[in-house]
Amino acid sequence: MSMHVFQLFINGHSPNSIEAVDTLLKICRENLNGNYQLKIIDIQKDPDKAEEAGIIAIPTLIRLEPTPVSRIIGALNVRSRVLAALGISSLHKY
Amino acid sequence: MNLTKLETGNASFDHISHGGLPLGRTTLVAGSSGSAKTLFGAQFLAMGIQLFDQPGVFVTFEEQVDDIRKNLKSFNWDIDTWEKEGKWIFVDAAPKEENIIAVGDFDLSAFRIRLESAVQKCNAQRVVIDSIGSIFTQFHEEMHTIRRELIQVALTLSRLGATSIITAERLEEYGKITRFGVEEFLTDNVVILRNVLQNEKRRRTIEILKFRGSNHEKGENPFSINPEKAIVIIPLSAMNLKHITSDERVTSGIPTLDTMMNGGFFKGSINLVSGAIGAGKTLLVANFVSAIRENRERCLLMAFEESTEQLYRNAAGWGIDFRGLEEEGLLKVICIYPEVSSLEDHFINIQEIVQRFKPDRIAIDSLSALSRTSTDKGFREFIIAFTAYLKHQEITGMFTSNTPLLAGGTSDTEGNISPITDSIILLRYVEMSGEMQRSIAVLKMRGSSHDSSIRKFSISDKGANIGKHFEGISGILTGNPMLIKLE
Repeated sequence: MSMHVFQLFINGHSPNSIEAVDTLLKICRENLNGNYQLKIIDIQKDPDKAEEAGIIAIPTLIRLEPTPVSRIIGALNVRSRVLAALGISSLHKY
Repeated sequence: MNLTKLETGNASFDHISHGGLPLGRTTLVAGSSGSAKTLFGAQFLAMGIQLFDQPGVFVTFEEQVDDIRKNLKSFNWDIDTWEKEGKWIFVDAAPKEENIIAVGDFDLSAFRIRLESAVQKCNAQRVVIDSIGSIFTQFHEEMHTIRRELIQVALTLSRLGATSIITAERLEEYGKITRFGVEEFLTDNVVILRNVLQNEKRRRTIEILKFRGSNHEKGENPFSINPEKAIVIIPLSAMNLKHITSDERVTSGIPTLDTMMNGGFFKGSINLVSGAIGAGKTLLVANFVSAIRENRERCLLMAFEESTEQLYRNAAGWGIDFRGLEEEGLLKVICIYPEVSSLEDHFINIQEIVQRFKPDRIAIDSLSALSRTSTDKGFREFIIAFTAYLKHQEITGMFTSNTPLLAGGTSDTEGNISPITDSIILLRYVEMSGEMQRSIAVLKMRGSSHDSSIRKFSISDKGANIGKHFEGISGILTGNPMLIKLE
């Protein structure tokens, strides 16, 4: 399985942010078998990063690899839809 | 009930808005696509930097930043330099190439934080968000969320205290204010830009719909996009009749005509010469122009029908030396086809020349040619604005107008202008005993008595010659002259 590289933009401890972090970590563990890099960026602390990446909505997940780069916004609370959007097979469970 | 306003720096807008945009508040600028919303916003920022040294933040939801930089270069706004100096900051919220999928609830806090940090970074006093409608299309499945979040954005703006413009799309020129109902939470100040197609001609207008708690001009005002000054509004509704009226008379250049008018034109009056082709209108203009020599006045002649060479030759044929006057710097002749630009642009152009040349007199030959470039309504507005402007500057004007019929009749142009003019001189052909004769009459003269007779008028190589009145004839004005028996 190829390496997945993610950036997740969150806003402090907002409920949506917490939920997005939780879901994403679960997916990384359970569907990607630890084969991932994840950088969580808090826009409160790092507004310039949000500017660079042109982030509008919170939370925003950017998948940098594998290409094409894609963006998912929202609390990621429907796991099956997140997997579909990332093109990860939900059968790939370890 | 007057709230403080921030002078925008666009003089014509400050004029119709009675001082600018409401200070520290948000104004919604709504318009259909191509109605110059982005330019309006950009000009607000550029003027702020150029004239008042007030930094600004430009948020783009629609156009890419590079495109905006490029598009605005044509107005000589050096945005690159301003960006380097930290006076202009772009917040790029334009759509990205990547696909965006929404899974679950989100908010626009990232955007708000970026906006806030940009405003604080340059200490911005002006903010433009262009255009808010496209955020609805970027997140088209989440209308409800966007609506809720935009209220937050509006609150952020008001907390930051910058004077801001939010632009929004509208689908029809006359109808709902904006496409996505943004006005529901941005209701205090609304400006509408229109770009209407009327009789195959584009007409741009601006209307201040409301400025809560403050006065402004009502109704639509035409505007034009000028390559040097960007948006220039022609303030119709702000015209007032408070100009100075003078008792001083100026000569028409023809002594008999002065006598008919009881001493000549009033200084600062607008005078119309109406006549069919070849009736002697241009001759009257030439005399009006050459009359400047006596008191060394200055005159601007705008010719829309003839070339400079033609004018000089014709004037020389009547013994009038235009070239000499021009060389002395007393006369400025401008010959252009009316079709080269819109009426609004002509107006702005003439205003610029007047400001530089400072004439005492202005002659326009002919107004009818100028009317070809516009709709009736547009032309009427132009005339009102233009005559008000001339009166304000105390410039004596002579306009000519073509009548379609040789003998009697009037034209549409005159219908528009005659109520505004101070005097009207009629030049008419009279068919008598198988001969075409010319006639001249002063139809109206505001504030003065005048000769009411219809006189014979002839043109020779010495110029105009006004004779006695047509005795024993009636029906000249209707075009059916008849001999009547005198008792």
